[in-house]
Amino acid sequence: MRTPDLFSSLFWMAISLGICLGGHDLGLGSLTNPGGGFMFFWVGVIMAILSGIVMVQAAWRQSVQGEMKAIWSGVAYKKVIAVLAALFIYAYLLTPLGFILATTLLMIFLFKAVEPQGWSMAILGAVISTLVAYGLFRVWLQCQLPLGLLGG
Amino acid sequence: MDLWNYLGIGFSVALQPENLLFCFIGVFVGTLIGVLPGIGPVGAMSLLLPSTFKTTPEAAIIMLAGIYYGAMYGGSTTSILVNIPGEAASVVTCLDGYQMARQGRAGPALGMAAFGSFIAGTIAVLGLMLVAPPLASFALKFGPPEYFTLMVLGLTILIYLAHGSIAKALIMAGFGLVLGLVGLDTMSALPRFTFNQMELLDGVGLVPIVMGIFGVSEVLLNIEQVVRREILKTDIKGLMPTRGDWKASNGPIARGSVLGFLLGVLPGGGAVISSFVSYALEKRLSKHPERFGKGAIEGVAGPEAANNAATGGAFIPLMTLGIPPNVIMAMLLGAFMIHGVTPGPLMMKQHPDLFWGVIVSMYVGNLMLLILNLPLISLWVQILKIPYKILFPLILLFCLVGVYSVNNTVFDIYVMLVFGIIGYLMKKFEYEGAPLVLAFVLGPMMENNLRKSLIMSQGDFSIFFTRPLAAGCLVIALLLLISPMIPWFSKKRAEIPKEED
Repeated sequence: MRTPDLFSSLFWMAISLGICLGGHDLGLGSLTNPGGGFMFFWVGVIMAILSGIVMVQAAWRQSVQGEMKAIWSGVAYKKVIAVLAALFIYAYLLTPLGFILATTLLMIFLFKAVEPQGWSMAILGAVISTLVAYGLFRVWLQCQLPLGLLGG
Repeated sequence: MDLWNYLGIGFSVALQPENLLFCFIGVFVGTLIGVLPGIGPVGAMSLLLPSTFKTTPEAAIIMLAGIYYGAMYGGSTTSILVNIPGEAASVVTCLDGYQMARQGRAGPALGMAAFGSFIAGTIAVLGLMLVAPPLASFALKFGPPEYFTLMVLGLTILIYLAHGSIAKALIMAGFGLVLGLVGLDTMSALPRFTFNQMELLDGVGLVPIVMGIFGVSEVLLNIEQVVRREILKTDIKGLMPTRGDWKASNGPIARGSVLGFLLGVLPGGGAVISSFVSYALEKRLSKHPERFGKGAIEGVAGPEAANNAATGGAFIPLMTLGIPPNVIMAMLLGAFMIHGVTPGPLMMKQHPDLFWGVIVSMYVGNLMLLILNLPLISLWVQILKIPYKILFPLILLFCLVGVYSVNNTVFDIYVMLVFGIIGYLMKKFEYEGAPLVLAFVLGPMMENNLRKSLIMSQGDFSIFFTRPLAAGCLVIALLLLISPMIPWFSKKRAEIPKEED
């Protein structure tokens, strides 16, 4: 049994069934006048069948010991989680703190997160990259970046 | 108007200062991201797409196209100097290019890659000019059933060429279709799968999805394992190939150009496949096949020509039929749509400036690349030395600002991060992103054409089997899907080089 495929097929089976139900609720219409849920429903049905095929194939195939562990072995998952968490927090704080402050803080964290560098290097890198991004997107391309605290 | 008049229009558009500037930015950024492993042309195009919102459609498409073929040029530099392909299409260049560099011939290898790419790029543009107009005229006869089945075929070919399980690739395509249909129904104007989120009424954005799957997930994969790159310490001198090098490379460049152009038209990894096929062809035709893999310049010239010619070929289905053959063209389709232009058979008549301007700009861009690549190779080598710990925060920063600036909403950042996680897990569990993105872009068009076809036929599915072109597309798609069940085809499919290898 191939454990990773079994898990992933179960996940997609659940998603497919959700799509089928959602499509059904939207209304299938008729073949002469397909409704808004027609495509969703039938794509969901096909996805469910395919998930079933992946599931059967996973159960059929010979297992490789520790296959599920192998996906995560030798992986610095703490770094991945830390970076993701920082990005979500950044998204949350972007509007209240404003672009310049939030981005500088994020960049300092990222420069220090994976392969730690000196504080001066991290702060200098963060400030320069934030200002370059601000100059490019706000000043040159005139995108509306949030001002936050600095905007008064 | 004849071809020469159209070309005149094209040159008048491509040579405008603004368009020249955007062409230069495109090929420069393209070469840069081709050089840098870790971010591909899809990620770079999605990063720069928001920066084109305030420009003309011509400038936007010219720049985004420049990134695509510029990346093909840049990819060869890392293959030759670091033995790491910047792009999947340059994988095969490592075999002989790196060996040449080890023998102290990095200069001629880089020079021939640049010249071969330029010649092939030029041939591909000429091919595009000649093939696109008649094909567009022919496509005017297509109705909804033909369009629907053509899209099914395009998606099926991409799925067939995907890595690993066809069932998994189909699931990805299905998920992409569903994502593409989120938002207001085009016929009834009712919201679908919006979960009461105002931001989803217009659908899920292409940019957050692409940046998540191809940008954020790549960064996550790269930071979990520290990759060390060693740059060959060799003096790069004498970039001009010798007469002997030219004699050995003429045939491979010519064959690679034609082959690349023809394979580039096909959906899937045209550039990747064509470079491998070109290598295999040159090795087979060579009087000294034993030299291949040990520093044969033909092994650099042929594949580099092929992958550049393929980029030109890939524009044909998009600009004549409105159907993108791969993820990069899907990004371009998105850019066309954002600027209010629908690519397809009518584009040549409705937007001749744009159509011919883009084609001619590719010729101008190829010339820029030749001028840019040879003297700036030392700059690219310096860029290669930037450690990933400096690079990845910058990539993430540009993903964040780029995605925010599309709609000025934090919601898109969340969407990008969620798709970053999905993309990361997809790679862990061996699911491919390309079918998802292509299906996402094709989804609304496919649904529209399916519904129109069924309304036309009063619910009779035989409309897809009684019209020759539609039936032909479906039969080919079906054969492709069932062929892996036959062991011989399954073995052959496994041997096809893949975009994500």
